[in-house]
Amino acid sequence: MRTKNELLHCAIRSMYEVISFAEGGEPDWERMKHVFLPNARLTRITPDGIDHFDLATFQSMAQEMLDMGIYTSFYEHEVTCRADSFGSLAHVLSAYETKRNLTASGFLARGVNSIQLLWAGESWRVLSLLWDEETEKNPLDLNQVFASEVICG
Amino acid sequence: MARVHKFRFSPARAMDAVHRTFDEAGKTGALLRTAGSYQGRKVELDGRMLYNFGSCSYMALEIHHELRAAAALAVYEYGTQFSFSRAYLECALYEELEPNLESMTDRFVLVTPSTTLAHQAALPVLIGDEDAVLIDQFAHASLHQATELLRDVPVHLVRHSRIDQIDQLTRELAPKHRHIWMIIDGLYSMLGDFAPFSELEYLLERYPQLHLYIDDAHAISWMGKHGRGGALTHLGKHERVVVAMSLNKAFSCAGGALALPNAALKTRIRRCGGPMLFSGPIQPPMLGAAVACSKLHLAAEHAKLQEEVMCRIDYALILANELGLPLATYDRTPIFLIECDSMQESFNTTYQLREHGFFACSSVFPAVPMNRPGVRFTVGLHNELEDIETFMSTAKVILQNCNFGDATSSVQREHFYKSSHGYEQVLS
Repeated sequence: MRTKNELLHCAIRSMYEVISFAEGGEPDWERMKHVFLPNARLTRITPDGIDHFDLATFQSMAQEMLDMGIYTSFYEHEVTCRADSFGSLAHVLSAYETKRNLTASGFLARGVNSIQLLWAGESWRVLSLLWDEETEKNPLDLNQVFASEVICG
Repeated sequence: MARVHKFRFSPARAMDAVHRTFDEAGKTGALLRTAGSYQGRKVELDGRMLYNFGSCSYMALEIHHELRAAAALAVYEYGTQFSFSRAYLECALYEELEPNLESMTDRFVLVTPSTTLAHQAALPVLIGDEDAVLIDQFAHASLHQATELLRDVPVHLVRHSRIDQIDQLTRELAPKHRHIWMIIDGLYSMLGDFAPFSELEYLLERYPQLHLYIDDAHAISWMGKHGRGGALTHLGKHERVVVAMSLNKAFSCAGGALALPNAALKTRIRRCGGPMLFSGPIQPPMLGAAVACSKLHLAAEHAKLQEEVMCRIDYALILANELGLPLATYDRTPIFLIECDSMQESFNTTYQLREHGFFACSSVFPAVPMNRPGVRFTVGLHNELEDIETFMSTAKVILQNCNFGDATSSVQREHFYKSSHGYEQVLS
């Protein structure tokens, strides 16, 4: 029997798995419906604006990127994280790298995912995924981002 | 045009992204450079002569004395410009060039001001309102632009060289449309791979409504009988195939051409293809050079030069294998893309290659997908075998050093990972 903490780890790993795909493939759309809640929100911050998606519009956007050849494969994995939870809610701040393939030593891009999850009885499911990518004007210092603890109240 | 999709990226945002890429490239001088002197084998940049591994002049014809002499003679006879619309009056050199290109290709040939304008002239004439279009996602940008002229025609993007998708879409669209036009490149200019000609020929036989429009700009001159390219070599006898050629690149002159299956089609595009009426003609010196070049292609010696190009291609492929250089594709073409882990690695590698005396090109989005940055290099008659060996060995060393650098950062990441908060420390 896995603990809730272990299942939280599994949920985050699953999230990275479903959005990653090999050359010529696509994200695992069916599995994504299980990893994310039906009313999940996905929010992308880019230097040019902020995009808001639900699962359907995210799939539509990703499909268009695939059709246009913007990506032909996608590998994203977690570099490090900080997780907090209380009762049925959890928040994971997860630094990621995207790579051209599994064995690439360098990364194409990196950034931070802010993930809210809800306990759904037997597993954690993603309610919100918000991400921002590192740019020249928005450098990512992992030590700084993950070293600080926010204390409220 | 009814482009078939649900989500549309904002063109302005796409341009912002491209603009930023140029900013990034500017730091290492990877793009928008200006050359000094040029000798073919070497090109001057920043006051230094660099070995040329970036040119599309695979046959080294741009410095051929007969082309230079023909250009000079034509400018003497006709001036720098023959300033009429071809709809009214064309330079006499067209009457020599088109028959020579027809002998090269065994097709009916219409010379156009450029390959881009060939597409813009041909596609609206060839493709009617009752037709549908499939276009390879990696087809040349000029082809994607030309499909924008097809106002009421559904245009479907197809994943790169995915015959199964072409097959399925053709089957689905055939009952609803008069013709299905599949638009592709014969040789893809960035990844350096050929279109799947054999499989496409099978589909042509299977679906009578399927037509192919092929931009074979990068395969002209160095490949096929008299330099007719890959598409005409494989599919030239097929009535439902139209091929666009380039008279730039390896042909080393100017303009484009359409190799058409019948005279009626040539006449129709000549009369109705927009740029054939309103765009300016090819200038006389370049027409003169093109006539001379077409004669070289028809001469017996051309095949020997093509063999020398193939020898260099094979040598580069052998070296890539021996050195373990990761190429995007391994087709026997003069275009090679060494895969890099990031855009930055691509820019840094071409910078360091220049420092070592070699000119090659960074290839990044939007020229290639985001996940396939690389260093694009070409080989041809300008490159001696020893130049190729030194260039590729140097590229290997540079890339190894890049990877060593990244390994260092991995150690730092590992150290960080251990010291950071993780799932084991979840507060509950």
